[in-house]
Parts: sequence; structure tokens; C-alpha cells
Amino acid sequence: MYSYQDRNLNYYNNMNFNQPYYTEDANPASLYDPYQGFIRGNMFPDLYNWYKFEQPMDLTVKSEKDQMLIYLDALSFATIDINLYLDIYPNDRDMISLFNQYRMEADRVRSEYENKYGPILVDSDASNTYPWAWDNRPWPWENQ
Amino acid sequence: MWIYKKKLEYPVNIKNKDLRMARYILTQYGGPAGELSAAWQYLNQRYTMPDEKGKALLTDIGTEELAHVEIISTMLYQLMNGATVEELEAAGLGPSYAQFGVDLFPSDSFGNPFTMAYIKTAGDPIANIESDMAAEQRARATYEHLMDMTNDPDILGPLSFLRQREIIHYQRFKELRNYYLEMQTKNS
Repeated sequence: MYSYQDRNLNYYNNMNFNQPYYTEDANPASLYDPYQGFIRGNMFPDLYNWYKFEQPMDLTVKSEKDQMLIYLDALSFATIDINLYLDIYPNDRDMISLFNQYRMEADRVRSEYENKYGPILVDSDASNTYPWAWDNRPWPWENQ
Repeated sequence: MWIYKKKLEYPVNIKNKDLRMARYILTQYGGPAGELSAAWQYLNQRYTMPDEKGKALLTDIGTEELAHVEIISTMLYQLMNGATVEELEAAGLGPSYAQFGVDLFPSDSFGNPFTMAYIKTAGDPIANIESDMAAEQRARATYEHLMDMTNDPDILGPLSFLRQREIIHYQRFKELRNYYLEMQTKNS
């Protein structure tokens, strides 16, 4: 049942929108690992703010293909989130090195996935096939 | 330019058709606090940002919002996939079927078509970024309202992910805004 009071209480309890922002010399020391960050939608534990369910949902893995794609999704996600942080704090050396660590691992996993299941990027080695592999199913919006 | 990755930023695999939720979630496609509106607001503002931080952040968040348009569209496609005309009509989607058949169309939940009049730009970096912060908060609130109306984990997973991204984007916009305010103080 919708209760305005409960909702506001929950809102204020959860609220960390006004916490001080990072400064150049106050690096966020420990991030979630890519999978834990990915299922939360947030790599930064001190910015995590849940709603409705406290425990983030694990993703269902039905096959080796799923597992590999989720691992790739998690690594790509880590680079996306760290990228946004670095746009604001371009002198954070540790974070640049973490970005590159996840970027290289993501590249490796993507190539491995593409060699098995077809291209994710059209200009990948997995496009050097006959017949043309790009227009093979599934498209991202199709239910697996 | 942009490059297409043939995957979603976060997976969507909805098992149960749900036209009621499709109609509500539609607003995050083409409504005032929707992903399309956010994407274009940021990508449109980036050209005149005063420094490299602003240009980079608006480009990157705008780009991520395009990926969110794809997640929302995917949810709509899967939530409506296989619905009969009778089911669509019963869910209040008869007018949509009459105009668009089973195609997607960016509108809000009431059926008002998407308009670029939703996007804000004011020729001033502080005013622009504060409108971006507000856009993130409105989208976060909308995702919470949507999460209040379902218990399907297949729907809640992506909604929760998208909501959390609004929180991060808000934080980064706020940091950029505060940085520009500091620069203004220093230079005055």
C-alpha cells in the first residue's frame, strides 16, 4: 500500500545525494569488483543507493554463452563507470590504471566471445567470415 | 561518430508479457523524464561547454543514455511481444495499435508523442548542468514509481540498474557544476 510517510522515510534514510563530492586527493579507495558493480549499476560503494530491495539481483546464467556475455557486460560496465569518474578527475593515476586493467580484460573476453558466437563490433576479426555474420541472430532486444 | 555494440548495456530477458507495465514504462522512452530526452539534452549541450571536463562528461553520459534508450525499447518490445489486438485494447493500447500497429513509438504513458521541447538548454553552463542534474533526479523518481508498480524480477532488474545510473550521473553532473562554481569564484 502506498504510504507517503513511509516513502519519505525510506527516501531520507537512503539519501546520500548530498554527501561531499570527491576531491583530487581523496580517491575512492575501493570499488566493487566488476560483477558486483554491474548488478548494482554502480562501481562506487559510497555512492550506492538502493530502492525496494537491498540485495542486488544476481543475473541468471543458463549457458556458457550467457556466462561469458555477463562477464563481458560487467567489464564493459566497469570501464563506463570509471570513465565518467575520470572525466571529472583526470589526474587520478590509480583509477586510470584500473580503467586500463578492465579495458584490456574486456577486449580479451570480447574477442573470445566473438570468435565463438559472432561479432559484437562489426569491425572485429569475427567479421572475416563467409557468409556475412553480422546479420545473424540474436539481436540485443530479442529474448534469449 | 558512434559505433554500435551488438549487445545491451544490461541484459533484458522478460518472460511474462505485461501490457500494463509496458504502458507505464513507455514514458521512459518518449516522456519528459525519459532516456531519449536525457540523451539529446546532454548531446545537444556538449558543444558549448567551457572546458574539456564538461565536453567529455556530456558526451559520455549522453552516449550512455542512448544505450538506455535501447534497454527501455527492449523492455517495451518484450513486454508487448505476442499480445493480441484484444489484449492491447484491454490494456488501453488500442489507440497505439490503430496508429502504429505493433511498432514502438516514443511517447509518454498517456500517449503524448515525444517532443524536443522537453530538452533544456539555456546558453549558460551552470544553468545547463543544473537542468541536467534535475533531469537525472526526475528520471530517478520515475524509476522508483515504476518499481513501486511491479514485483516481476525480470522487470525490476533493469529498472533498478537504470535508476542507479541516474544516481551516478547526478553525482558526476554535481561534481562538474561545483567545479565550475569554484572556477568562477577563483576568477572573480
